[in-house]
Amino acid sequence: MITDVFLFWFLAIVTLAAGITVVTVTNPIYSALALAMTMIGVSALFVTLGAYFLAGVQIIVYAGAVTVLFVMVVMLFDLKYEVVAFSRGKVSGALKLASGATLGGLLIGSIFLTVNGVTKAVSVGTSEKAGDTTKELSRLLFTKYVFGFEALGVLLLIIAVGAVALARSKGGTHAEH
Amino acid sequence: MGNSLTEIIINSIKLILVFLIMVQAVPVLVWLERRGSAFIQNRFGPNRIGPLGLMQLLADAVKFLFKEEFSPAKSVKFLYYAAPVVALVPATLAFAAIPLGAPVQWDQYVFHLQGYEISVGIVFVLAVSSLATYAILLAGWGSGNKYALLGALRASAQVISYELALGLSIVGVILLYGTFDFNEIIQAQQGPLILHWMGHEITFLSFLPNWGIFYQPLGMVIFFASAFAESNRLPFDLAEGEAELVAGFHVEYGGFKMLLFFIGEYGHMLVSSALIATFFLGGYTIPWVSMAELTQWVGTFIQTPNWISLVTGLITFAVMFAKIAVFLWIFIQVRWTLPRFRYDQLMDLGWKTMLPWALFNTILTATVIYFAHLG
Repeated sequence: MITDVFLFWFLAIVTLAAGITVVTVTNPIYSALALAMTMIGVSALFVTLGAYFLAGVQIIVYAGAVTVLFVMVVMLFDLKYEVVAFSRGKVSGALKLASGATLGGLLIGSIFLTVNGVTKAVSVGTSEKAGDTTKELSRLLFTKYVFGFEALGVLLLIIAVGAVALARSKGGTHAEH
Repeated sequence: MGNSLTEIIINSIKLILVFLIMVQAVPVLVWLERRGSAFIQNRFGPNRIGPLGLMQLLADAVKFLFKEEFSPAKSVKFLYYAAPVVALVPATLAFAAIPLGAPVQWDQYVFHLQGYEISVGIVFVLAVSSLATYAILLAGWGSGNKYALLGALRASAQVISYELALGLSIVGVILLYGTFDFNEIIQAQQGPLILHWMGHEITFLSFLPNWGIFYQPLGMVIFFASAFAESNRLPFDLAEGEAELVAGFHVEYGGFKMLLFFIGEYGHMLVSSALIATFFLGGYTIPWVSMAELTQWVGTFIQTPNWISLVTGLITFAVMFAKIAVFLWIFIQVRWTLPRFRYDQLMDLGWKTMLPWALFNTILTATVIYFAHLG
């Protein structure tokens, strides 16, 4: 029990610290690396909750692909310009503060609103062999939540097609002639 | 880790042993690579120090340890020093999760011959190996060098592209065995090949072992090819491309830091070979022989159940390593046989050839499994 509490607080602090670093450092590269650290921290939190499959997928998708792409794009930027754009100007500072406050308010509000309405959480992944939750998860995805799941898939497809269309219209190696 | 002190101690020792196996395999592989390449190219290779040049490894290790410690003036110190360490971690974590032998039953304890047992092993290995890109990116950025940065960008683009094909080629295997657990996948590949189709048993192929490669030939080919790309080996080593980029992302590294990148690369080869053996070649099982038959055969020499289990575990461990060694040799042979791809060819192969074929393999496997379970 003690180890669980210790792990949770340790991981929560690491994740939050990395998350704060993402928005406070001025160099985009460090931002992106801190974002990767945040993703890994979230994945570790999933592990402590017994959601092993989600933890793995979190790393594969976010830390493994999305953030790497992000880092690559950042590396291709003209960093001198980007550093100026990222630095602590009054407008960008106010924007950061405003978005941070909005997000914090949303989080706190949702926690307070749901605490009363939710019945006590049922522990799922208590056993050592928690691979069974994967099967349960997939069964739910393809029965109860199938419409949401498919809608998300369509949304991702639209994003992919949109990204390609945007890239072609803006020029580059694959531009339309 | 375990419930009693004995179990905890043995599991801890096991973790260290698995790490040592990986690290100690590297000098042997380097020797094999240098001697093997020499024979392929009609040279001698390192043959002066010790029998067959085997002591060359020790000499190299000493040389690496005593080299001057330096970092480039324009480097980002923290990232520059973090990169080699990060390079070592993913391969180690992934290798520790792969079973290297049958579980050993000793009194009331069960010891798995792997670093740690994870029920979602495949997802775990894919996840930690996808973090290997960060080592390359950190090195490329931290070195403060144009060649290093270009090499890092190439490498990360390549690893991301081929990760998709790699992941999708395993989906067929997951569908086939219905589990993420390496041990269950290996257990399902025992004995001779008997196909099940709509309630019938097809036995005319039983002269073949019950390996995944006979169910998933296309998946095997795609996985094998993308494994080369994932470990940045020739013909996919554009990240290093000596003629264009000097050495790519590790151009500014020398001495032991460079050796850590080496260990990471060879560790990836080990992990890839072990994964191919596990998914497609029956893992630690002996072809045609089921685990029960093996235990029975060992039982004719030894009486105590503890020792039977231990000897069986060691035999399966040797079998697994024989399979891994075959693929390691293929990795080396391919490196010294094939020329490097051009960059656009590499991207075309990854996105326009392997990804569609991997998707096709997934759909085909799902359809065949659906019909095979009818009736």
